[in-house]
Amino acid sequence: MIDVKQILNIAHYEIMRIFRERVLLAILFIVPLLYASMFGLVYVSAILQHVPLGIVDLDHSQESRAVVSAFENTPNFQVIPQVSTYADLEAGMKNGLVRAGVVIPADYSQKLAQHQLTQILTVYDGSNLIYGFNTRKYFQQVLNTFSAEHTAAYLSGLGMTKQEIVNVMDTVSYSMQVWYNPTFSYATFIYIGLVLMTLQQIGLLGVGLTVTREKEENSWLQFLCAAVPQWKIFIGKALPYFIANFFNFGLLLWIAARFVNVKIEGSVGLILLLGLLFDLIIVSVGFIVSVYFPNSLLVTRYFMLISVPIFVASGYSWPSTHIPAVINTLLRTMPYTWMAEAFRLLTVKNLGFEYIADKIMVLILMAAATTFFALTFSKRRKPPAQIGPVVNSALDYPNKNF
Amino acid sequence: MMIRQCWVIMQRELFYMWRDKSLRNILLVGPLLGLLLMAGVYSSQRIGNISTAIVDLDKSSASRQVTTDLKNSQNLQVVAYFDTFSQLEESIKRGEVIVGVVIPENYGKDIALQRQTKVAVLIDGMNIIYATNASSAVLTVTRTLGAQVGIRTLIAKGIQPNQAQEAYQSVAFPEEAWFNPTANYAYFLVLAFALNVWQQCCTLASCMTIIGENGRRSWYQIRTSGISLFKLFFCKSFVHIGILLLTVLPVYFLAFVVFKLPLACGWSSFLLFTLIFILALHGLGTMMSSLSPNAVNASRYGMIIALPSFLLSGFTWPLQAMPQWLQHVVWILPQTWFFQGVSFLTFKNPGWGFVSHYFLALSLMAVLFYSVAALRLMVSDFPHKG
Repeated sequence: MIDVKQILNIAHYEIMRIFRERVLLAILFIVPLLYASMFGLVYVSAILQHVPLGIVDLDHSQESRAVVSAFENTPNFQVIPQVSTYADLEAGMKNGLVRAGVVIPADYSQKLAQHQLTQILTVYDGSNLIYGFNTRKYFQQVLNTFSAEHTAAYLSGLGMTKQEIVNVMDTVSYSMQVWYNPTFSYATFIYIGLVLMTLQQIGLLGVGLTVTREKEENSWLQFLCAAVPQWKIFIGKALPYFIANFFNFGLLLWIAARFVNVKIEGSVGLILLLGLLFDLIIVSVGFIVSVYFPNSLLVTRYFMLISVPIFVASGYSWPSTHIPAVINTLLRTMPYTWMAEAFRLLTVKNLGFEYIADKIMVLILMAAATTFFALTFSKRRKPPAQIGPVVNSALDYPNKNF
Repeated sequence: MMIRQCWVIMQRELFYMWRDKSLRNILLVGPLLGLLLMAGVYSSQRIGNISTAIVDLDKSSASRQVTTDLKNSQNLQVVAYFDTFSQLEESIKRGEVIVGVVIPENYGKDIALQRQTKVAVLIDGMNIIYATNASSAVLTVTRTLGAQVGIRTLIAKGIQPNQAQEAYQSVAFPEEAWFNPTANYAYFLVLAFALNVWQQCCTLASCMTIIGENGRRSWYQIRTSGISLFKLFFCKSFVHIGILLLTVLPVYFLAFVVFKLPLACGWSSFLLFTLIFILALHGLGTMMSSLSPNAVNASRYGMIIALPSFLLSGFTWPLQAMPQWLQHVVWILPQTWFFQGVSFLTFKNPGWGFVSHYFLALSLMAVLFYSVAALRLMVSDFPHKG
């Protein structure tokens, strides 16, 4: 029978520390909520619509007005009336007034009447490719509809009946289905990745200071000298953070589904399993780092900086198929990469266990390895290293209350 | 005497920064590593060769023509042929292919008999970057394919070939991507992400300005030595700002000279803009430093702002797509002005009249942040009771 009293005593002591340090308390319980709300607000519209569009109609004919109407009648574009010349369009694109443009040449209707090839120029702002790629897609949609209407009108002019026109034009139809995220919701695409990154960072920043704080207050020595095995120290100290992280995991997913309308499907059991594994890895890694780093300032600094590189290189947004193998391999050592991928396959694609079994296995192995190192950390007391004068890198850092 | 004193303070600050091993590593290595990593991530530059699978249930010459046209399309790469729909479904589930095209049975026969037929195109929407590009590629290909079939049908119905062609292809729709003609993702994001890492490193350094002094025991000596606080923190800030500017220079060299990322506005304007941003950012860090009881909390306060600031800046997901009130609120962050300015200056160079607002806003922020820090320092109860 394991004596859990020592563990609970250490956990109780740690909870007292958390409640005593108001900033830490805020980081554990308010910052995740703050970030989740902030990111939720950023992506709540989910779909990029009303792209400001400048139309330069140099023809001003009935035919060119049909083109203008095609762009006016879609919610994807918002025609900006201040743009009427090519110079306006150039200026508008430069100062951000418009993000896309359509140029109808002066001889548009004349060439159509003369049965000559004419063209409508479409331009989009390549400086922001979220705008750029969406605009290109919207252009294709409008132009496909416009082309079909143009063809129908032309065939009608040749004397074909409505039914004949339908028969010709519908000989081959293409049905395009976008699976898993049919509305192209950016919230469904990116929000969960940001939430998981927030959980990772908050988790690491919480548990990462649990030992360094003791070192700074010279109380870590008591843990090292006490007749308490390492594994009990780890479990006791990590338990409050583990519970807090798991609470945040549930809370942030609820916010995602309830308020940001992120698609979260799949087995609840698997979602919980992934959450538990990720949580276990985070607290173990945070604890190990805390044991081996000299002070809280260093832990805070390094942990703060890892979020952007890991998120960008993980293949969550820019697909890993287009990332060099060496970076992919490097990022495969990060639990976030596996967690984010497995979580997305589960919640967005609604896939079963067999599709994410490999990812769960990797996370289990990572959890086992990190937990093992955390449970068996060395209690050996090392003499202070003789490294000469250091600033902010020894056992203390600038603190008005020291 | 005064210059000598300033020089000594600056030398001391340089020594402190160098001796702070973690900060030294972060400033020297962080931004460069960030740039190299981002350049590596986005080295393929464009989302081309979108893996596509075809299920040809017809296997006629007409269906083979569709396959050939898909193979020749610009952004799609046919990587698999399946015999059944379920095989395709499984492959999309596993993420092996992004686009699936299903050509129905009797496709060729139906076309020859001018009966209606339907080709299904399926796109994996899980990753929007893929899905958006795939949709555009598919829409382009299907318009071309639809036109080809339509022209053949009209000719078969006895319409003159030139009239049939005109019915479908009298209007062409060329497209141009301005400022980034090849729609290069590396141009769009590499520098921005690297600068995001850099501004986080800068924030960590700036957050030491005041607490790095009044959080040390030597603060009593400094207070009793009679050195004016203005002189002390001015000299410290001068060194910090110089170092922060120096750390971004190799990033810019690699970005603009080696990787040849676009820089429409020219070096001098861009460096000046960067310097003004450093002033505002350093001011913000200094303010956080003045409000904190210790260096850890100063770093936390600074980074709580610095971490999400890039997302809030509208550099990627546009400001216009955010709620109205948030669009106004985000401009209180210097990072919003900076990243918006970086986008305009590197791609568009809209002229001094436009970017002068950015310079002015960042300058005002710097003044505000430094003023708050100075006020806080003046009213704080040092030498502290302890």
